[in-house]
Amino acid sequence: MSGNALPGAERVVRIIAETAIANEKYFGDLDSVVGDGDFGYSLARGFEKVLEGWDDIDRTDAGTFLKRSGMIIASRVGGTSGPLWGTAFLRAGAVAGTAPDLTGEQVVAMLRAAIEGIKARGRSDVGDKTLLDALVPMTDRLEQEFSGGADAEKALRAAAVAAREAADATGAMVAKRGRASYTGERSRGSVDAGAVAVAVLTERISETWQTRGATS
Amino acid sequence: MKKFVNDPKNYVAEMLEGVALANPGKLKYVPAYNLIMRTDAPRDDKVSIVQGSGSGHEPAHVMAVGRGMLDAACPGDVFAAPPMDYVYETAKLLASAKGVLLLVNNYTGDRMAFDMGKEMAEADGVRAEILTIDDDVAVQDSTYTVGRRGVAGNFFVIKAVGAASEQGADMDEVLRIGRKVNDVTRTIGVALTACTPPAKGSPLFELGADEIEFGVGIHGEPGRERRKIKDADAIVDDMLEAVVTDLPYQSGDRVALMINGLGGTPISELYLLYRHAHRRLADRNITVARSYVNEYCTSLDMAGASLTLVRLDDEITTLLEAPAEAAVRIF
Repeated sequence: MSGNALPGAERVVRIIAETAIANEKYFGDLDSVVGDGDFGYSLARGFEKVLEGWDDIDRTDAGTFLKRSGMIIASRVGGTSGPLWGTAFLRAGAVAGTAPDLTGEQVVAMLRAAIEGIKARGRSDVGDKTLLDALVPMTDRLEQEFSGGADAEKALRAAAVAAREAADATGAMVAKRGRASYTGERSRGSVDAGAVAVAVLTERISETWQTRGATS
Repeated sequence: MKKFVNDPKNYVAEMLEGVALANPGKLKYVPAYNLIMRTDAPRDDKVSIVQGSGSGHEPAHVMAVGRGMLDAACPGDVFAAPPMDYVYETAKLLASAKGVLLLVNNYTGDRMAFDMGKEMAEADGVRAEILTIDDDVAVQDSTYTVGRRGVAGNFFVIKAVGAASEQGADMDEVLRIGRKVNDVTRTIGVALTACTPPAKGSPLFELGADEIEFGVGIHGEPGRERRKIKDADAIVDDMLEAVVTDLPYQSGDRVALMINGLGGTPISELYLLYRHAHRRLADRNITVARSYVNEYCTSLDMAGASLTLVRLDDEITTLLEAPAEAAVRIF
């Protein structure tokens, strides 16, 4: 296959896996403020499985690759993060399908499908102080940039800034879903670990795109 | 606590091997996914019916696999939902042209595993649907659930969708029937003792010598309240009151009545409970048209019983009367 879709999908999944493993302690510390502290550990152990089986993941097309990755994540990341993150990759893969090339518009559609999957699986929405509170503003910015004619590098830079601002803003929110919600008002004042993870991952993806350029 | 056990880690696997060996030619055991399936499944002219839950509730559900009942069951470890990849692999193995119906007792862990398993199977092109069973009237939410729990009443859903699928009903029709039966089925359970998981080796909770847990769940999780034990008839009166008023069942109704043992109660005691329930329903002009007295959905060795009522109409009655052959046979 000569298009950008599969290499792009491989690159994004690999960055997410490596970043999740590298930030195990940081994500775990954020989660332990109001959650049960297992977020960093669960994510790292699950993404280690993705990398262990990396060469064997079906690469028929970008959609299949993302769906297979999602299945590993769903079944190997512990707690509720596995099903939530796994669903996101499954839904994004379903939209990517067999297309050899993906436009910015299509990537936004994949992210929208991932967001809808997370909402359905977690029975949560924007404002509940979850990863959605960074993922949705990040996607909105990406869409604005692409529709304004930006290239991938510029759009990703802007999206990373939007994700970071949104993650920081979760500090003022009260958790309504996930284990952090058990602490109610006490959750105010600390940022959401999932939202910060989205910000860190978007920043890493953006940095990689700046250095490697628009090969995909 | 004395148990028939080898290595507790192999408890579920050894039980499943036993089920398979006792039913040669009829049931197949797939160890990788704790899967017990009919040897003649899947068939493209039939919706495949699958249920999974934790183990420890036998005969539910592995021993309800057979003609006119389940096509397969994929339990998890004792009192643990099956991992989602068990559900996914099971759905793929049972995929038929008419689809796979996944029955789920309403527990949070089971729902998550089945929702994900279904999504993963769908990504592979398998048609799958989920039907959630929530017949327990004891509490609105519980330790392990949002919404009501799914307990012994799931046997009536299994029987009805099993019969309908055997007769060639398509997925929409099977779903309609399953939801209809769930809607007219109500259950309440009472525990006299706690149960002892093999890997733990000690009782899961404490219940005083003169106490009962009224509205207990099938893992011993709390129900409505701890009460002092009373005469059997008085306990049945309390159970009937909780169940009859919930739907409510009314004068003139025809019902199926199930007295289900929770694992550690003699069958004789179950018939003692049945006797009083049957008479009290007659007093309310509610006719027991079908009766079920046995162990169906248990909590390991817990002493106790649950009472289930199903409001019957001609359609449900016909489906309950249809022939079935499960691994657990009474002859």
